Amino acid sequence: MALEIPVDSTTTTTNAAGPNPGEVIVTDNLWKTYVMGDQQVNALRGVNLRIRHSEYVAIMGPSGSGKSTLMNLIGCLDSPSQGRYWLNGHDVSQLNDDELARIRNKEIGFVFQTFNLLARATSLHNVELPLIYNGTPTAERTARAKEVLESVGLGSRMDHKPNELSGGQRQRVAIARALVNRPSIILADEPTGNLDSKTSVEIMALFQELHAKGNTIVLVTHEPDIAEYANRIVTIRDGVVAGDQLSTRNRNQQP
Amino acid sequence: MARSVTKLSLLGMLRRSLVHRRARSFSALIAMTVSAGVATALLTLYADLDTKLHKEFRSFGANVVMTAPADKPLAAGVLEKVQRALPADAVAAEFAYAVATTDKGTPVVAAGTDFAAVRRLNSWWQVDAWPAEGDADAAIVGQRAAGFVGDAKALKLAFAGRSIALRSVGRLSTGGDEDSRIYMPLAALTQWTGVAPSVIEVQVPGGAATVEAAIARLKQEFPELQIQPVRQLVEGESKIVDRTHALMYGAVVLIALTVAVSVLATLSASVLERRRDFALMKALGGSQGQLMGMFLLEAVALALAGVAAGFVIGSAAAWAISEGNFHTATLPHLSVLPVVLALNLVIAAMAALFPVRVLRGLQPAALLKGE
Ligand SMILES: Nc1ncnc2c1ncn2[C@@H]1O[C@H](COP(=O)(O)OP(=O)(O)OP(=O)(O)O)[C@@H](O)[C@H]1O
Ligand SMILES: [Mg+2]
Repeated sequence: MALEIPVDSTTTTTNAAGPNPGEVIVTDNLWKTYVMGDQQVNALRGVNLRIRHSEYVAIMGPSGSGKSTLMNLIGCLDSPSQGRYWLNGHDVSQLNDDELARIRNKEIGFVFQTFNLLARATSLHNVELPLIYNGTPTAERTARAKEVLESVGLGSRMDHKPNELSGGQRQRVAIARALVNRPSIILADEPTGNLDSKTSVEIMALFQELHAKGNTIVLVTHEPDIAEYANRIVTIRDGVVAGDQLSTRNRNQQP
Repeated sequence: MARSVTKLSLLGMLRRSLVHRRARSFSALIAMTVSAGVATALLTLYADLDTKLHKEFRSFGANVVMTAPADKPLAAGVLEKVQRALPADAVAAEFAYAVATTDKGTPVVAAGTDFAAVRRLNSWWQVDAWPAEGDADAAIVGQRAAGFVGDAKALKLAFAGRSIALRSVGRLSTGGDEDSRIYMPLAALTQWTGVAPSVIEVQVPGGAATVEAAIARLKQEFPELQIQPVRQLVEGESKIVDRTHALMYGAVVLIALTVAVSVLATLSASVLERRRDFALMKALGGSQGQLMGMFLLEAVALALAGVAAGFVIGSAAAWAISEGNFHTATLPHLSVLPVVLALNLVIAAMAALFPVRVLRGLQPAALLKGE
C-alpha cells in the first residue's frame, strides 16, 4: 500500500495539480452549497480526496456531515458549487446533464440504501436497465444481465419482481445492476442500512469478492464494523475530510 | 445501428410501461377514445349535414316566387324556359288565379295548376286524396273554401257569366291562404276563364348561396318578371345550418378541452407517481432525450390507440344518429380521420406539456436519498 498511517488529506492540502497515474477519483477543494430560500447550507467545505484504482474505501462521519453529498458529487449525480473533480483523469466538474448521464452510465455503479429498483420490473430487466441507455443490443444485454445476476447468486431469481425478493436479494439485484456496465467505480451509500446484520455480512462478503476481482469501491457507512471491511477509512466532519487512515484489519495485515 | 437498437429498447420499455400500468393507461385510453369518437361522429355527420338539412328543407316547399306583371301574364313556354335555367333537381310549378263565385254566391279564389308538379313542390301540403293524372275536371278544395260551397262533392263555379262543373276529389289543408282556394287543372281554368298563369313557384335545393345564384340567373333571363325569394325560408334555412355548424364546432372544442384536462391529469399523475423511477433512470444514465422520448411515445401510443378505437365507435354513432334523425345512413368518412388524428395528437401534446416539465426538472440526487 502506498498510503502511510495516518494519511492526511484534510483541507490543509491541495490537489490542484490534478490526478496522478492510477488515480480514479481526485477532488480539489470541492464545495457544495445548498440554497434554501435565503438560507445557505455548506454541505461540503473544500474536500480534497485521492482514490486509486482498485482501492476499497469506507467513508464515515456523523449524520449531516456531508457523506451523501460527497457521494453524489463523486457519482456525478450533482455538480460541485466550487472546486474540481477528476474522474478517471478527466475533469467532470463542468459537464452538462446529458454528459454527466453518459459518464454515470459508463463509469459508475450505484448501490443505494433503499435499493431503488423498478418495482414493476423483474430482476433481469432491472439489471438490463443501464445497458438500455447505451444501446447495447438486446441479445448481448440479456446475456450480460444474466451472467451478472448469476455471479451475485441470483441465477434462480431472474424473473422475480422486487416485492418477491428478500432485502438481501434486492440489494444483490442492485449490485448486479451496478456491475453490469463494468464501471470504473462502485459507489455504495449505506448499502447495509436497510438490512439485518446477517444479511449485511453476506452483502459485505460480496463487496469483498468484488474488490478481490479488482473493482474500485467507495462505501458510506455509519457502522464501524462495516467500515472495517474496507482497506481505508475516510472520515468526514462538517463538510471536510477530518481523517484518512487504513482500516484496523488492513493495518494489522501490514508488516 | 446503435440508434435503432436504442429505439427498439425504448419500444420495449413502452410496451412494458403501458402493460405494467394498466389502470392508468386504460383511463387515458378511454379519454382519448372518447375524444376521437365524438370528433369522428360529429365530423362525419358534419360532412353530410348540409345535404341532409337541405333535403329536409325541400319539404317546406317553394323558396322562390316569380310573378308576372298584372297586365302581362306569362306566355306559353315560360315554365319550360324557367326549368331549363334551373338546376336539374329544382322543381317549378305555374299558377293561374281567378276570383269565381260558388253556388252559394260566395266569392272564392280558383287556382289552376299542374297537380303533379305541385305535389312535388309542396310535399308539406296535407291533401287527403290527389286527383289522378290527366283527370280534367277533378279539383281539390281548401279546408275553408269547402264552407263556401253548397255541394262539396259536385262543385259549380261561375266566372263572368260562364260556369264550370268540377268533381272535388280531395280536401286541402295548409294553415295558409291555400285553405280558402279551390285548385283545378290549369287547362280547365284557362279554358273556363281565359285567365293565363301569372305565378311560377320554384323550389331550389341548397343553401342561401345556391338560391341567390338561381335568383340572379332567373332575373337575368326573365327581366320582365318579379322574382323574390321566400325570405323566411331561405334565411331560416341558412340560419339553422349555421347554428348547427356552430353547435358542432362548439361541442368538438368543448369535448377536446375536457379530454385534454383529463389526459393531462392522467399523464401528470403517471409522471409524479414514477418520479423516483424516472430519477433512477436518469441516475443510471438515461438522458433527458431518452426519458422524454419514452414518455412522449407513451402519450402518442395512447393517442393513436384512441384514434383507432374512436374512429370505429364514432363512425358507428354517426351512422346510428343519421338513421334515427334523417332516415338515411351516413357511411364512415375516411377524410375525417386526419382531422381526428391531429386533434388527438394536439390533446396528447398539450396534456404532456406539464409532465414533461416535471420530467426535465427531476433531480436524481434529491430523489434517490431514500425515505
Ligand atoms: N438537497 C438538499 N437541500 C438542502 N440541504 C441539503 C440537501 N441535501 C443535503 N443537505 C444538507 O447538507 C448537509 C449534508 O447532508 P448529507 O445528506 O450529505 O449528510 P450525510 O452525511 O449523508 O448524513 P446521513 O448520515 O444522515 O445520511 C445536511 O446539513 C443536509 O441538511
Ligand atoms: Mg447520507
